[in-house]
Amino acid sequence: MKGELNKNKVTGVWRILFLVLTVIIFVITFLPMWNVIVVSTSTALDSSQSGIKLWWNQFSMEGFDYVFRVTKMARPFLNSFLVTTIGTVIQVILSALAGYVLIQKDLPFKGLITSFIMTTMMIPGDLTLISVYQLNKQLSLLNSYQGLILNGLVSGFSIMMMRNYFNTVPYSLAESARMDAAGELKIFSSIYMPISLPGLGTVFFMEYVGKWNSIMLPATLITDESKYTLPLMLKQMILSTGSTSGTAVAPDNAIMATIVISTVPLLLIYIFAQKFLMEGLNMGAVKE
Amino acid sequence: MKGQLKRKIIRYKGIYILLIPVLVYFLVFSYYPLVLGIFKSFQKVKLLGGSQFVGFSNYKEILLDAQYQQAFWNSLIVGGGTFILQFFWGILIAVLLNETRNKVSRSLFQTVTYIPNLLSWSVVGGLWITILSPNGMVNGILKLLNNSNFSPIVFMSEEVYARTIMIFTGAWKGAGYFAALFMAAIVGIDTSLYESARIDGASRIKQIRYITLPVITPTMKVVTVLSVMGILRNFDQIFIMSNAAISDKIKNLLVLIYEQGIIQFNVGTATAAATIVLLATFIISTVVKKILKYDEIYS
Repeated sequence: MKGELNKNKVTGVWRILFLVLTVIIFVITFLPMWNVIVVSTSTALDSSQSGIKLWWNQFSMEGFDYVFRVTKMARPFLNSFLVTTIGTVIQVILSALAGYVLIQKDLPFKGLITSFIMTTMMIPGDLTLISVYQLNKQLSLLNSYQGLILNGLVSGFSIMMMRNYFNTVPYSLAESARMDAAGELKIFSSIYMPISLPGLGTVFFMEYVGKWNSIMLPATLITDESKYTLPLMLKQMILSTGSTSGTAVAPDNAIMATIVISTVPLLLIYIFAQKFLMEGLNMGAVKE
Repeated sequence: MKGQLKRKIIRYKGIYILLIPVLVYFLVFSYYPLVLGIFKSFQKVKLLGGSQFVGFSNYKEILLDAQYQQAFWNSLIVGGGTFILQFFWGILIAVLLNETRNKVSRSLFQTVTYIPNLLSWSVVGGLWITILSPNGMVNGILKLLNNSNFSPIVFMSEEVYARTIMIFTGAWKGAGYFAALFMAAIVGIDTSLYESARIDGASRIKQIRYITLPVITPTMKVVTVLSVMGILRNFDQIFIMSNAAISDKIKNLLVLIYEQGIIQFNVGTATAAATIVLLATFIISTVVKKILKYDEIYS
């Protein structure tokens, strides 16, 4: 049995080559991230010295201290957190509602509704940027949290993901509940939502990551620094360091600390969502 | 017949009500900006009074504008280069993952290569700008290799490195995502295929060549089509990583449109440029679909 298994392995020179390649790719991907962790927890002096910096000379949290005291990172963090969380929760609910509509058998105008939604996937938000700016000006949503939440609130992609997920739930459940004179909202909330938790989780995760990382919309809508989200704040820090001249305004350990702060929430959610993720990728990205 | 349709609509009225928020949202935030944008691209804003219809003159202006031409080539070179590198890097990760039998190293390898994909461009950009800075890790390694009097390279202000850096960092961020898509296809391969190949005496390399790679070919096509649609639309990376010293080599259409439209307020020409990007994207993806015979398989 063991011999059988070995025969199905890469052998000889190839095996060594594969091993070397795996190690190289791992190192190229991992070292920069490890570097971030080490520098973010080093002293400002150490982080400004030249060198490879993969281990601590002296462990220190002064980067994080700087970030919260001097650059007042708490505000952008809360902005990002609030806007992203509220937006994602609303998005998941709305996408699920629309997805539920799209699975109804012989619903009149279903084809029309589907193409109305699908077409929006082909209207790239980034290309209507200038009109989006003007629209937001007209609605006085510039420099407001509502604007950050409302723009990009629903996407055709998340609706299609929810629809695909609901399609795996037997439709007879909805029909028999309808026989019992249950309202649509009732059927949706007490049958479809609970069954579809993994699907909802996947959509929540993907949209959360997207909104948390979004740069273009906040850069367009927000000029008021008190409403900056984390990516905007980070951009401002990177720019003001004049990385080209090498004279940093914010020390390297503070920038790396901001990077850590910007990343931790996503990693936490990723750990929770990992289970659903493969399934979700299959469901949304490859099919259709 | 008509009465039947009416009855059905009445039966589903609860359903239609559920749809209203989404319909309103898309009308206001997707369709209206699109129409407004196309409309504005034919107008010139006057300082005094409103706007004036100017036909295709904005379009003409952009097609002849050296700045926009440069930005177009930058988008194409950096976007195309990133896609190609990311594609092969992703396949390599997927194949290597599939050959890694040890469970722990396998999941470690997959997690580590996937994580950059979760990070925003301001994080990835900040990370690499710092690593490539004169005191950063790359210069540290170079110094170690040529231990004599080495003077650090200021990577982020050298035009010669600019595009390479953008392509490399783009692929660094995205390769794990492509790999995850390829892995999803590989996981679905019937193991009996490998077994019978083994009985026929095929080496593992031959199995990769004749089973694994052909099986993920459809995924490769989907990934290619989805990616070429995004080639001209890479805003975040350049917005974050560009600086005055290297922007000539990397500033792409979207960043230029943003600068022109939102900052300088040249709304007419900027929206015309956006419409051109939309058309160019459509043309590129149609050509690529034709070349890959994509519609024959997926329609």
